[in-house]
Amino acid sequence: MSERKQGPRRARPASKVDPRERLRRVLFLVPYAVRHPGIPVQDLARKCGVSEKVLLEDLDFLLGVGCPPFAPDDFLDLYVDGDRVHVALHQSFSRPPRFTESEAAALAAAVRALGGEGRDRAIRALRDAVPRDRRKRFDELSGRIYAGSPPARDSVLGRLQRAIAERREVAIRYYTATRDAEGERVVRPWTLAQRFGHWYLYGYDLARGKPLPFRLDRIRDCSLSDARFEAPAAAQLDRARLFSESSAAPIQIRLGPRAAAWAKARPGVVFVERGTDGTAIVEVAGANEDWATRFALSFGGEAEVLGPEAARRHFVHAVERALARW
Amino acid sequence: MQKAERLLDLAAFLLRAAEPISWREIREQFREDYGGSEEAAVRKFERDKAELLELGIPVRWVSQDDDHAGGYTIDRDDFYLPNLDLPPEDLALLYVAGSAALAQGAFPYARDLAHALNKLSFAARAPGASEGAGMAAHTLSRGEEAPSAGDGASPLAARLEELSAAVMTRKRIHVAYEGAERGARTERDVDPYGLYQSGGAWFLVGLCHLRGAIRTFHLGRIVELTVNSAMPRSPDFALAPGFDLGEFATREVWEYEIHAPRRCTVKLDSPVSPEARASFGPRAVLTEEEGGVRVELKVTNGEGLVRHVLSLGERARIVSPVTLRNRGRAILSGLAKRGS
Repeated sequence: MSERKQGPRRARPASKVDPRERLRRVLFLVPYAVRHPGIPVQDLARKCGVSEKVLLEDLDFLLGVGCPPFAPDDFLDLYVDGDRVHVALHQSFSRPPRFTESEAAALAAAVRALGGEGRDRAIRALRDAVPRDRRKRFDELSGRIYAGSPPARDSVLGRLQRAIAERREVAIRYYTATRDAEGERVVRPWTLAQRFGHWYLYGYDLARGKPLPFRLDRIRDCSLSDARFEAPAAAQLDRARLFSESSAAPIQIRLGPRAAAWAKARPGVVFVERGTDGTAIVEVAGANEDWATRFALSFGGEAEVLGPEAARRHFVHAVERALARW
Repeated sequence: MQKAERLLDLAAFLLRAAEPISWREIREQFREDYGGSEEAAVRKFERDKAELLELGIPVRWVSQDDDHAGGYTIDRDDFYLPNLDLPPEDLALLYVAGSAALAQGAFPYARDLAHALNKLSFAARAPGASEGAGMAAHTLSRGEEAPSAGDGASPLAARLEELSAAVMTRKRIHVAYEGAERGARTERDVDPYGLYQSGGAWFLVGLCHLRGAIRTFHLGRIVELTVNSAMPRSPDFALAPGFDLGEFATREVWEYEIHAPRRCTVKLDSPVSPEARASFGPRAVLTEEEGGVRVELKVTNGEGLVRHVLSLGERARIVSPVTLRNRGRAILSGLAKRGS
């Protein structure tokens, strides 16, 4: 057997790594480094979601990987030169393995929850990218994760996905809850994301001159224009994801004992005070007054909005008006 | 040789071979690893094959024919991730859906999903790829070396990951569960069938051995969880025949089985928002009428319907039955008294 199999490698205190995660990682990082010759260590580490130290340990580990008869040319050869990673011999690891059934099933569940005209095609392609023997397991596992129902008609979602892919502006017919009216907005669609259980389109609203979230289930229609736009910077996207209301004070809600038990399960709810009788005061950040009122009413009389004052007033008036109608 | 190294060596060996490799040859080349008795060596090799398959690397036995002696092989076509031949909007769907799922912070098989997004960058280039890669890296970095306190996976994400593994491998779990209605804590064994998300929260559906029936559990109320660790590769149960996760996942709160079915009518006054219409689910019958929309429903949890209609705001109200209408009015009147 080759000395490389037995001999000591570079001395470096080893990190605690999960061997299975390491295997999955190196099966990705070797082909990635093949495709990106001379990639900086830092970039490759970031791409793999590990520290540079762990990445260098991975490279050390790979020095000992090869195939019989373990002659020098039978080993993987990745080396760092001036802080950049190069691959001299990849030993057939030039492309990652197919999706495992859980990788494909998780992605398929995410795709089903968002929907769109391409949903079935995308899921079929995922299934075909699983090894033949595992496709039945993929089918079985796919039936056991349900991440939600699509938030809008397939045609609306399909057009939005196309516009995001082609970076084209869209005109949307949008219902604004606070004004209770529908209007047309021209938006540069950046991405789609979820918050508090609802789907949103994030994009730059041309008339308002700033990025805004638009709830997908309030988009009645959508058409693509020929105007193109530049991809948003990562920082812009991060800022947009925070929602416009997030700088406002969080809304405080008092909950009765039963409501407190239910609220534990609601996303975005932070408990700030708990009474010995099971009551609680919770805060929700980034929510508007209308949302807070509906949220409190969803607990069937066991919750009320406490503050800030404007949110409290909104709640009290909404209750009075609703009572008059009921 | 360490197992991780052996698995990769084995994969490299089989990938490079032009022909199937006999078990004798494999034993010869990996003498130290597959030493000892024949039986023990075969068992170890079978375990290695299973682990490779879990990594997406299928090792196959090819029977002897006119051209080859029998042996093991990795079919390159069945190993390498193929290109996904999809139009750009479908690729955007994959990236956007995958990134959004990871951005939620808790999603079943989140690490697998992150690996999938990374692999996808080989199979297809499209807008959204870099955001997907960023989310994947963020997810994979959780739990790596000394994460800062706020950076690790949330307890919910960790629980979901644990349950995902139990769902996939069909291992029985033991949970301590805090009921919402009575607040009582119970302990039970559950066969985890599946996971679903509703209203931004995650639920487990499984056969509850305490109740002897399929039940739904809110993940936020599972106080303790233990997964049966005996024989991790052997499933503990088979799913009940005809089980359909969708039936549970799309059940509305007024469809929980609390009392005998009743017909109920809800009135939505104009203008009716699209989400108010959609909120009654696929089984509601909606009729346009003067001044708004009439919604007819079959209800087995009246209290749940009252809560839902109240949450729609001032322009939604229950018309019939009178008992539920009175219940809603009493709730509003109590809140109004407290507010004044």
